[in-house]
Amino acid sequence: MIRAGIDAGSRAIKIVLFDTDSRAVIASGMRDQGVAQDDLARGLLDELLEEKGIGREKLASVVATGYGRNIIEFADRTVTEITCHARGVCHVAAGSRTIVEIGGQDSKVVRLDGYGAVQDFNMNDRCAAGTGRFLEVVAVRLGLRLDDLGELAGRSADPAAISSMCVVFAETEIIGLLASGIPAEDIVAGVQNSIATRVAAMVGRKVEEPVVFTGGVALVPGMSAALERVLKRPLTVAPRPQYTGALGAALADG
Amino acid sequence: MNQDAPRLITLDEWDRRHADLTRAGLKEPWYGGPLGRHVADGDFRLRSLRYDNSPAALRLWNFLLTEEERLARARKEGQVLIGTMKDLGTVPVMAYAAPRLTAFYPDGAWWIPCVMELSAGLLQVADSVGIDETFCPVRAMVGAFLTEAHFPIPDMLTCSVGATCDDFSAIAQRLAGLGHPIFWWEMPSRRHPEKGEEAVDLPGGFTAPAGQVAFVRSEMERLRAALEERAGESLEDAALAAGIAAANRVRRTLSELRRLAYTADPCSMPALEMLIAEMLAIHYCSDRDESIAVLEDLLDTVRTRVDSGTGVLPSGAARIFWINPVADLRAMNLLEEAGGRICGTDYLFTHALDEIPEDLPPLEAMARTALADPMAGPAADRAARISADIAAFGAEGLIISRIPGASHCATEGDVIRERVMERHDIPIIEIEVPPLSDSIQATLRTRIEALVETVQERRRK
Repeated sequence: MIRAGIDAGSRAIKIVLFDTDSRAVIASGMRDQGVAQDDLARGLLDELLEEKGIGREKLASVVATGYGRNIIEFADRTVTEITCHARGVCHVAAGSRTIVEIGGQDSKVVRLDGYGAVQDFNMNDRCAAGTGRFLEVVAVRLGLRLDDLGELAGRSADPAAISSMCVVFAETEIIGLLASGIPAEDIVAGVQNSIATRVAAMVGRKVEEPVVFTGGVALVPGMSAALERVLKRPLTVAPRPQYTGALGAALADG
Repeated sequence: MNQDAPRLITLDEWDRRHADLTRAGLKEPWYGGPLGRHVADGDFRLRSLRYDNSPAALRLWNFLLTEEERLARARKEGQVLIGTMKDLGTVPVMAYAAPRLTAFYPDGAWWIPCVMELSAGLLQVADSVGIDETFCPVRAMVGAFLTEAHFPIPDMLTCSVGATCDDFSAIAQRLAGLGHPIFWWEMPSRRHPEKGEEAVDLPGGFTAPAGQVAFVRSEMERLRAALEERAGESLEDAALAAGIAAANRVRRTLSELRRLAYTADPCSMPALEMLIAEMLAIHYCSDRDESIAVLEDLLDTVRTRVDSGTGVLPSGAARIFWINPVADLRAMNLLEEAGGRICGTDYLFTHALDEIPEDLPPLEAMARTALADPMAGPAADRAARISADIAAFGAEGLIISRIPGASHCATEGDVIRERVMERHDIPIIEIEVPPLSDSIQATLRTRIEALVETVQERRRK
């Protein structure tokens, strides 16, 4: 039986096809987000199905998650990102107790019980400071590609201190740092630390291990290390972390 | 479909139902009529809300939305209008003991930006006199005074200060500076009695030093004298005792309404109507006797539904305890659309829900009740009461709703969260609801839906 999970995130739409018999992902794909989310998701799903030679009628269910989940009209039902990331992480890293997810627009911390059920969660509050958006802003300001930020930050020996708790003010601060000759790598590393600090505040004092890092930002080199430093705990990056939400959506009905 | 079966309906559906009910012989008070007519007055938010479909709920809404007319009538009839600010349920009990006085809360203007979808411009007017968005949305009250478009300017204004909300004090001070004299009365910061200090039990399970109670009683004496002067008659203890008895009738009715509405499964009255009903305990919507009738009507409806096992939501909805009132009424609908229901509340005025002792001299009883104000004591006291209510109402999840700019709430959320996490194994979310939440509704919905999903998953486990 094949189930489809769609994660309509702020930056990209991700889709996973999951075979419930083999308990394995048989296809996955991602497309940049756009205005016509429903069409984009439909097109991507059709591509994946065609690639695998599966007729649409063979899909047992289509579950949508992510901030655009309610726009995916052809989904059978919707489930929030909190539940989906929990399901997805439990599938790829059973026994996890804390999930840190940083996406393009929001970040969240989910606490799981020993059986993988969500116990509690925390999300950032209408602020981009603890999200991937912060990295996008700094990339634009430094004239870099998002993918290059991690490598650049890895060269930093003295990360800059970013004191502003707001992306808008932090951008001004970055301009000031550049003007005073602070190297770009130190600024990027400083931004990564700032995001990690913001997320750590959501984690709180009681961190149960194992901690898993997921979401698109987990792919950015250096972010995982920044989080480990702030949390003072080891964490594992989920395999293919950008697909965890979509995987959880595919698992939501089975 | 049986149109009388309990369910949530839109404004348009209500207007069609109102026409049907009228043809079928519905009897309404003078303020009755189709809900949709209020949109013509600028109450645009009504179009986005979902309502209970009972005639009792219709009466409740019409009662709420006609307060302006009621106050205009009272003035025309020669009533003395007392604008009572901040105390949330204390001064009106005393004012309504004098037949010539009609009390109301200008604070209620905090919902105008929501109900009128910002079209009245009250927040901009407040901005223009320096009361900007760093203050709680109750700053809309300043705009209402300056525009004189939403309630008659009261003949007398009272305001409690001291251990009440600092935001509110600043707003009221600005109002006084703009030429609206205020009778200030002081609320001390309630504290636990020290060793050897005489302690007095307060409603709500709190205690306070006898000295603090005596001080508040002396403030009540000053209030009584000021109200007597305005009423042109003395406010004898017997009249105050009658006022307290009437207030307790409101509170008892509400207590039973809350018990039934928050515990019955399926949910017998929606969150939104219950929020409006609870608010009547504070302000009576400028007519104490009619608010008793409105609440009793609502209670009859709930009893009928509970007896017949019917309700407005599917059985088994996630039981959520809700803390603090919301600036945007739509948020209450969101909870139910996400599969949740209210099973208990603390809207910052639990002291107005507790019965006022009737076996004490009236001003002593009023002082003790006023001092039980959750905002006047330590946040830990409020958290302890919330914790006890969470256990009593069997909550499965908690929503702490912050009010933007309201400094009081900002300090309390963590204390409440910690206490509840210590004592109850339930998921908690904090949300912030601005007067018009449309732009963040997707975010709000995600949080609330995730809370409901978490509750449901816990049930399965």
